[in-house]
Amino acid sequence: MPDLPGKQEKLTVIAERVEAPPRPEAKLRRDSHTRRMARVGWAMSTPALVFVGLVTIFPIAFSFVLSFSNVVVSGSGFALENPTFGNYSELFHSSVWRYSLAFTIFYTVVTVLVEVVLGTMIALVVERLTKGRGLMMSLLLLPWSMITVISAELWQYIFEGTYGVLQAIFQAVGLGSPVFLGTPTSAVVAMMVADIWKTTPFVAVIVVAGLVMLPGEIFEAASVDGASGWTTFFKITLPLLRPTIAIAVLFRILQAFGLFDLPFVLTGGGPGTATTSLAILSYKVMFEDIAYGPGAAVAVSATLLVILGSLAFLKVFRSQVGREDVQ
Amino acid sequence: MKKVKGIRRARVALMATLGSAMVLAACGSTSSSTSSSASSSGGSATSGNITWWASPIAQVGIRAALVSAFEKAYPKIHVTIQSAPTNTGTNRSQLVTEISGGSTTPDVFMGDVIWPAQFGAHQLAVPLSKYLPSSYWTKFAPGLVSGASYKGQVYGSPLFEDQGFLYYRKDLLAKAGLPVPKTWQQLESEAVTLVHDHLVQYGFVWEGDSYEGLTCDFMEYLTSAGGKVVNSSYTKSVIDSAAGVKALSFMRSLITSGASPAAVTTFQEPQAMAVFDAGNAAFLRNWDYAWSNSQTPADSKVVGKVGVAPLPTFAGQSYPGYSNIGGWNLYINPHTKHLNADLTFIKWMSSTKAQYILGKTYSEIPTVESVRTALASLPSTPPPERVAATTRLIARPAGTPNYPQLSSALYTNVNAALTGSVSVSSALSAAQSQINTALSGGL
Repeated sequence: MPDLPGKQEKLTVIAERVEAPPRPEAKLRRDSHTRRMARVGWAMSTPALVFVGLVTIFPIAFSFVLSFSNVVVSGSGFALENPTFGNYSELFHSSVWRYSLAFTIFYTVVTVLVEVVLGTMIALVVERLTKGRGLMMSLLLLPWSMITVISAELWQYIFEGTYGVLQAIFQAVGLGSPVFLGTPTSAVVAMMVADIWKTTPFVAVIVVAGLVMLPGEIFEAASVDGASGWTTFFKITLPLLRPTIAIAVLFRILQAFGLFDLPFVLTGGGPGTATTSLAILSYKVMFEDIAYGPGAAVAVSATLLVILGSLAFLKVFRSQVGREDVQ
Repeated sequence: MKKVKGIRRARVALMATLGSAMVLAACGSTSSSTSSSASSSGGSATSGNITWWASPIAQVGIRAALVSAFEKAYPKIHVTIQSAPTNTGTNRSQLVTEISGGSTTPDVFMGDVIWPAQFGAHQLAVPLSKYLPSSYWTKFAPGLVSGASYKGQVYGSPLFEDQGFLYYRKDLLAKAGLPVPKTWQQLESEAVTLVHDHLVQYGFVWEGDSYEGLTCDFMEYLTSAGGKVVNSSYTKSVIDSAAGVKALSFMRSLITSGASPAAVTTFQEPQAMAVFDAGNAAFLRNWDYAWSNSQTPADSKVVGKVGVAPLPTFAGQSYPGYSNIGGWNLYINPHTKHLNADLTFIKWMSSTKAQYILGKTYSEIPTVESVRTALASLPSTPPPERVAATTRLIARPAGTPNYPQLSSALYTNVNAALTGSVSVSSALSAAQSQINTALSGGL
């Protein structure tokens, strides 16, 4: 399409107006005003920042220091003796840590994947609802709003090996009486089911919010152009939802990697060590073995890995979004 | 409740971390103040205020009853009960955080019998033998004081004891014409018979979950089979042995033969007790307190139908088998400001009066030998306490500060073998190598 000369001219004028330097006195006034506002801003947020610093940054930094120290616990407090890499070398030589790491990664990948697929599907349905959308949304939020320890206790009744609901159902349809939390594979699957039940709604709600924000005209245009439902979904909805899904995935990775309450209530990390996540291991090493150095090393290893994982994920996601733009 | 504790723990941890440097500097010579008053005649205080950290003992009211009797004897010493979490692991974590953070309370704490080495090694408890004369320690039942010692010092004063018992259904055995089992093999075959004849849903229930309780149960089979977990100097594990294989293979066979439900691999004490009390199991391995639960009509369908016996042993060994020692000691916080009053309290708790309250009113097993013998001969004494006089005891290998890691290496691998996810031999070899790592202080 040839450029209209008139439009070009108008744009130049606007550009010039924007680029014109402000008068010096106005600039001065605005600078001092900005500085004053900034001071007020800082003053007002300082208490919150100090609080965040004390409860978040300090403990993280302290764990980091602990993980590189030979920590001696005694009646007179902990003493941090000679900096060492020993805690980490213990970690790398520990089969329990390696297993926990593999388990935590596997658990995170599977649950997040399933939750995102299911959550997106549910969101697409909920978004189309013409009646009862509010009701559906609040019902959806029910599992998510429940405290994990409590929902885990409830799942315990379902999975229990002598009077559990699920076992009764299996017995009723002639599938024997499996003890779901009694073998490694079934315990891991059971835990994943409980997790997916609880957090899929979270993904769904975020995706619904993303769907609502999508511009309607594009979909009208697609239907005018005769695009099928599938084409519309894969070529328009999903690409546009990428940033929303990315946020949901990121939140979920962070949470799933810190898996603690479900195994703590359901299996205590067993059978054997089958459901010992890094967080459970860190708790055991720190507070049962009173080995703060190695325990902190486990915690730091988990933190570093989840940060690296999230960064890698974001990078991949960004480049894909970029490709979509090029197309 | 849990949350409040959590917040407090976080606060204490924060204080601990912030103040650790200062505390360390200030307490560079901790023992100076306490050792100056060191004498062998501690515990003669007549006034003071002390805080006693104790989890609810099996029956409600027991702590308050002890405290009120103590305050009657020492009207000027006031004791405040600080309720500790019922979960022993949480209880210990909280204490460790508070005491290593320099907290002066609790003054006296009730702690598990397996804590002395860990608490002694980290100076989280006062070495009581510095203040109480050797004559004080001779009144306790054999084995208890050595179990409460670490490197030549006694850290805990035994309060009440516990041990494994075999509970059985008298009515079911009578109906089937079976005797009370004296060997593990007999127990297994009787359990299978009773289940097979549809007299009961499950045969034998016990604690098979991946947790400390499984270490207790395992010790009983292992010792009957003639095995040990570690050598006597705690330098290496000897669990991967013929005896280890015998013990663990038998435990696994309990499940494969149908004598025990597959769900025992997820059972802790309450689950095992619940199944038995609901009338769904013929045999139960549990502690002393399972008796009163099984005889409380509100909780139990088997009131009046339960018998108690020592644990069986393997065929060919002399009866009875071994019962694992549990129970609780009293320890003193090294930061206490009321050492003398604390010692007075601890001494009183091992007095005949206090031990009778524990043993007679609340059916706990007394730790003082004379009280235990006197009660055992009374017909009104509950059966477990009478049976306790005839049992053989085995302690867990808790003589190392790294016991929690050692035990975790044990119960996770034993549990894995019980579920059938690994073979008995590979579980034992994994346990052996992980216990060796634990003994050397590794992760």
